[in-house]
Amino acid sequence: MLNLVNGPQTSGNSRGFWLAFLVVLLAALIYPVFADSYDVGNFSYFLIWVFMALGLSLMWGYGGMLSFGQTFFFGIAGYSYGVLAIIMGGGTLTILALVLAVLIAALAAAVLGYFMIWGRIGGMFFGIVTLAATLSLAFFLGQTAGPEWHIGDARLNGFNGMKGMDPLTVGDIYIEGTIFYYVMIALIVVVYLGLRVLVNSRIGNVIVAIRDDAQRAEMLGYDTRKYQLLTFCVGSGLAGLSGALYTSWGQFITPSSIGLPAAAMPIVWVAFSGRSDLTATLVGSFLLLFGFQTITVYSQQAALVLMGALLLATVMVMPQGFIVGVAQAASKRWARITGGADRARLQNGES
Amino acid sequence: MFAELFSLFYQFADVFAFLILASAGLAIVFGMMGVINMAHGEFIMCGAYVTVGLVNLGVPLPLAQIAAAVVAGLIGVVVEMLIVRKFYRRPLDSLLATWGLSLIVTQGMLLVVGSSTRGIGTPEGSFSVGDYSFSTYRLVLFACAVAVLLGIYVLFMRTRFGVIARATMQNAAMARALGARTGRIYAISFGIGAGLAGLCGALYAPTMTLIPTMGATFIVESFVTVVVGGANVLLGTAPAAMLLALVRMTLNASYGQIIGQIGMLFAVIVIIRILPEGLSSILARRGR
Amino acid sequence: MRAIGKILCAAGTLALLTCATSSARAADPIKIGLMEDVSGDLAVMGMPKLHGSQLAVEEINKAGGILGRQIELIHLDPQGDNARYQEFTRRLLNRDKVDVLIGGITSASREAVRPIVNRTSTPYFYTNQYEGGVCDANMISMGAVPEQQFSTLIPWMVEKFGKRVYVVAADYNFGQISAEWNRTILKDLGGTVVGEEFIPLGVSQFAQTIQNIQKAKPDWILTINVGAAQDSFFEQAAAAKLNLPMASSIKVMLGFEHKRFAPPALNNMHVTANWFEELDTPEAEAFKKRWHAKFPNEPYINDMGYNAYHAIYMYKMLAEKAKSTKLADLRKVIATGDACIDAAEGKVCIDPKSQHTSHRMRLVSVGPKHEITVDKDYGEIKPYWLAQIGCDLTKKNDKDQYTPSHLPKK
Repeated sequence: MLNLVNGPQTSGNSRGFWLAFLVVLLAALIYPVFADSYDVGNFSYFLIWVFMALGLSLMWGYGGMLSFGQTFFFGIAGYSYGVLAIIMGGGTLTILALVLAVLIAALAAAVLGYFMIWGRIGGMFFGIVTLAATLSLAFFLGQTAGPEWHIGDARLNGFNGMKGMDPLTVGDIYIEGTIFYYVMIALIVVVYLGLRVLVNSRIGNVIVAIRDDAQRAEMLGYDTRKYQLLTFCVGSGLAGLSGALYTSWGQFITPSSIGLPAAAMPIVWVAFSGRSDLTATLVGSFLLLFGFQTITVYSQQAALVLMGALLLATVMVMPQGFIVGVAQAASKRWARITGGADRARLQNGES
Repeated sequence: MFAELFSLFYQFADVFAFLILASAGLAIVFGMMGVINMAHGEFIMCGAYVTVGLVNLGVPLPLAQIAAAVVAGLIGVVVEMLIVRKFYRRPLDSLLATWGLSLIVTQGMLLVVGSSTRGIGTPEGSFSVGDYSFSTYRLVLFACAVAVLLGIYVLFMRTRFGVIARATMQNAAMARALGARTGRIYAISFGIGAGLAGLCGALYAPTMTLIPTMGATFIVESFVTVVVGGANVLLGTAPAAMLLALVRMTLNASYGQIIGQIGMLFAVIVIIRILPEGLSSILARRGR
Repeated sequence: MRAIGKILCAAGTLALLTCATSSARAADPIKIGLMEDVSGDLAVMGMPKLHGSQLAVEEINKAGGILGRQIELIHLDPQGDNARYQEFTRRLLNRDKVDVLIGGITSASREAVRPIVNRTSTPYFYTNQYEGGVCDANMISMGAVPEQQFSTLIPWMVEKFGKRVYVVAADYNFGQISAEWNRTILKDLGGTVVGEEFIPLGVSQFAQTIQNIQKAKPDWILTINVGAAQDSFFEQAAAAKLNLPMASSIKVMLGFEHKRFAPPALNNMHVTANWFEELDTPEAEAFKKRWHAKFPNEPYINDMGYNAYHAIYMYKMLAEKAKSTKLADLRKVIATGDACIDAAEGKVCIDPKSQHTSHRMRLVSVGPKHEITVDKDYGEIKPYWLAQIGCDLTKKNDKDQYTPSHLPKK
């Protein structure tokens, strides 16, 4: 088992890391016993966004594709979940709605990805095309206020947003509060481990090879386009998962979750955390979401200034990202103690 | 008939001027230097506020506008030396840094000068063609846009500074080896980019609502224009703006603003799909 | 003390129970949860709303509070972000356990709050004028709605300027529904809409629109464009010498465009409003004096700020008549049809069927130097439309938002 999740593409392969992982997981599992229900709900809410951050880390950090389109797929799946949950009538079928919504997002990613990757669009051009698609969707949905914009009983309802869908339900139990929290923990663990397996597999090595030098990878006989498309679909599908979960959580979604500035947020989270590593993205995005909310609650009008200063300071002081930076500083110290300095140097060098 | 034709030209000129003025500064900062400057809109905002502030102090408008561009340029030089300088080797991180800067500046402005500032009014002057009456100032904007294009071209193609600057952007180590003071070149180039952004804000200040977040209305258009223009900004930006203006103007006129906006974004996707290196790639090939 | 309370709360269910019961003690403050955007794009409107609430709380607390309890105002700034509205609604309800929730600027933010509030028995005051139609037992609307604004404004414009109208509207729910209202009312008056243009939010350039208007040759323009960027229309239209009469339901009293733009950009603008700072009745003068004493730098007391101020007085009246802060008891007071306060505009009452507020509407116009004249006083106008189409909250809680083209199912 450990062989699959460990490998050169992820930091944290040691026994100590996995021990810490288990401790954190255990703490997360017993957390609801101690915490007040609001905090439990709030924590699970942060986890909703982490999927799209992980997806972007895979595409950008590992695959070298800077996508501004995470909220595009977030929106597609979010709205799909809403529409499907309404027309299929709620109940346990909402689970199916969630699965279908994510698949629809992944399918959309396949279409857009095919269009871009087979057109040899790369670098900032990739970013701008995904941004253009995202903004178009936001503008389009923004003007669907009229009653003529509906799918079955589901009205898109324009800028004011779509509502009236059931949250995820099993039988007649809504997946909310503590149950939702445990579902989120389970999903995060599955997605995180799954992505680790993916990036450390042969496929993952090719994806990283393409990031480092697409031409060389091609010369070595890989059809780079297929690998890039796969990366794009998985990464965007994860954004879709975030979107569907978000709609279920608040029973509400609006076009402003898609357009700017929402579209830039995943990039901010991932860049802040350190895009080159999944663990860093997971921890960093969570901390940043938590930090931003806390700042907003306690500092009123100064909040945006503080957030900006936090980002600016991070990127100036820790070029690899906050979490990667902290981890490297820590591992350097550790290496000095244990004498394994080579390893730390290697890690510094690769990013 | 003449009135209709003139009206079409006027609409085209209006969108073209907007795209050129909004993107000229970014063309240098992002297109040539590779800095993903998310604070581009804030330089525009800065130009607008300085203009309005000076006019309220009694400075004549054109003078205030030039001063605003200079102020924005100087701030640009400072920003380059303090922040942007660190990011030439890792351009993607410049996105995060300038995004942070942008948040600080917009909200800081809100805290310092308040959420709204009284506008100064567009300079008098209008003329009629057939049934339509037009604001003269919009044509001034168009003239400024053309002048900016010419100015950039002359500066980077016909002056010694331009040659050294282009050499620095292409290969900084080599330029340094040949004696160019690349650090200074970078600072000045960024300053020029910021100054052009400030000029954009200064020129549009009389026609727009002044709020600290006003830069956001320019940012998408400017990035899109520069990227569609392609790697060679001196060749690419003008035709990109022309093409996008044409698409937007036509769609605006026949289907309304919302289709105009979506249509322009769609055109961007299609153009990049056909020309993955941007418009300048074919122009450069022709030129060879 | 509060910190200790928090630790106790966190220690376990038993402690939680203790906290919950203790919060109902009479001496504890009444908690008002407020969400107004004081950062970002909407700050221009959000600041007066925050100030209005702060002023009302200060006054009430000085005068002895509500039911003898002081008010604790908990304000969070959602920065115009709908997701933050969702987060903060939950926070205020579940963490701070507020007695009443107030706030929200855009209709989208209101719609983000409603599904969450609907699962609780907390009253929610929405303090903006808006496109109307929300039939929801949790929500009390303090602002003016289309039947109060358009059924007065449009006939007056048609009579004074003519029957050909051009509509410039923001391309989202508010703009589209307002345009729908205009169409309906205009049809009854025999007028025609010679052009209707919907502008995406954030658009700031209007050369094409201005020319379309000149081509259509309307008698007057209905401007329901929204947001700072779209407000640039006025400056650009004036520069192109469009010189047409304008009417709106949101200009002047809300965005104080006549203060923000240099004259004569807003010349010949007509609006119907329940409040505008230039109102000079003795009550209004006294209100403005109190406001400016506390906030001397306020550029303009807009109707949103005014409504936010009165929302807290409305809540005070309801709670004191009901001798309770529970939603069910407050609604019993509303159901009597005698839930009124003396506001600065005059007497305003909550309509039992729709839980919207009646308003004294006045039609004002803007002159070439941006001076304000009151052209007509319509007296008190009730929010009648929801009841007319079948919303009756005393009998049934629809939790829906209706529009002229989305009516309740019979």
